[in-house]
Amino acid sequence: MSFDLAIRLTEILLAWAFIQQSAEHIRGSKVDRIIFIPRLILSVVLMVGVQTQWVCLLLCVVGLFILKRFQGPYNGGSDRMSHLILWCVSLSYFMPTQEWKEYIFGYLAVQLILSYLIAGWVKIINPEWRNGRALQDVFQFSTYPVSENLRGLAHWPRLLFFMSWAVMIFELCFPFSLLTQTTLMIGLCVATLFHLANACLFGFNRFFWIWLAAYPSIIWLQDRLF
Amino acid sequence: MVFVKDCTVKFMFQTLKLVLPALIPSWRFFDTIAPSPRIEFSLIKNKKTPVRNWKIFRPRPVTISFFNMMTRMVWNPRWNDNLFLVSCAERLMQKPTEHSYQEILNRIQADIKESDGFSFVQFRLIFTHREEEILKESETFLSDIHEIHKGEYL
Repeated sequence: MSFDLAIRLTEILLAWAFIQQSAEHIRGSKVDRIIFIPRLILSVVLMVGVQTQWVCLLLCVVGLFILKRFQGPYNGGSDRMSHLILWCVSLSYFMPTQEWKEYIFGYLAVQLILSYLIAGWVKIINPEWRNGRALQDVFQFSTYPVSENLRGLAHWPRLLFFMSWAVMIFELCFPFSLLTQTTLMIGLCVATLFHLANACLFGFNRFFWIWLAAYPSIIWLQDRLF
Repeated sequence: MVFVKDCTVKFMFQTLKLVLPALIPSWRFFDTIAPSPRIEFSLIKNKKTPVRNWKIFRPRPVTISFFNMMTRMVWNPRWNDNLFLVSCAERLMQKPTEHSYQEILNRIQADIKESDGFSFVQFRLIFTHREEEILKESETFLSDIHEIHKGEYL
């Protein structure tokens, strides 16, 4: 995948994620509407592909207002990934040489790999994740399951033990998927299913769309390196 | 001039403090399963001798259909707002700010449809955690008593 195509695909997927996020805020407070309606309009322009470097820059400015409005990220990791992708795409436009543009975009791909690798590492060093207890706690008393019925999964320790190891192995093995284009595609398909499951079980719909937006960077990096 | 310079430095510092965690994220998702917050509120008639009847704020549904799960992929504002309230509750415990307090209170006020003679509202935070095999709950925060501003979302 060429650098320009990867950037353009990232912009389209990022714009869709921002449209989805912004639409959810429009029925919020007056302040939210003042911030998110311009963001929605800018995202549509970004998707169409008009003056993308300036649109990205304006979206960065709006992003600062959002961080200020919520005194940090609104939805934790999904907001962090949103800002990271936007800043990397924006900065790449204003870098003086192609080499520097690629470093910035490559940084996004590295962060995507780290997002799985670190998440897997912090789990596997925790004995409660290794014996399945942590996932049992998530279903039993955490705020994340989207319905009361899902709490019943806490009574399936063997299933949760298997699920815990499946998640840890996937997250830790993800960097190896970079070895070939085929393994990367398989890795990204598994990752997509993982985010889909998280969206269904825990309501993390924003994570699903924003992580997809980072995938062109890793497809480009794999092509560039191997 | 010195005042303007101080304000600029303060603004830059605050902006960096907000942006840097996004540009250099930690990605430590679910490393430990921390005590889990629940927001409860009570409508009150008399501020001087309050009688409280605590209710869970925005309780989760018993079940969700597959169709709803799929539609929530693109439209899930209420749940995402609830996730933000969890952050606010955690922030209130770790580093209390007026911002987190107001964000919770504003949403409770906005969700009050019928006050039925009640004039005041109060909220509290209950944290659930596990000790060995037993789930324990503790009230970790109790708000002031506020006048009801029904349906107002500032």
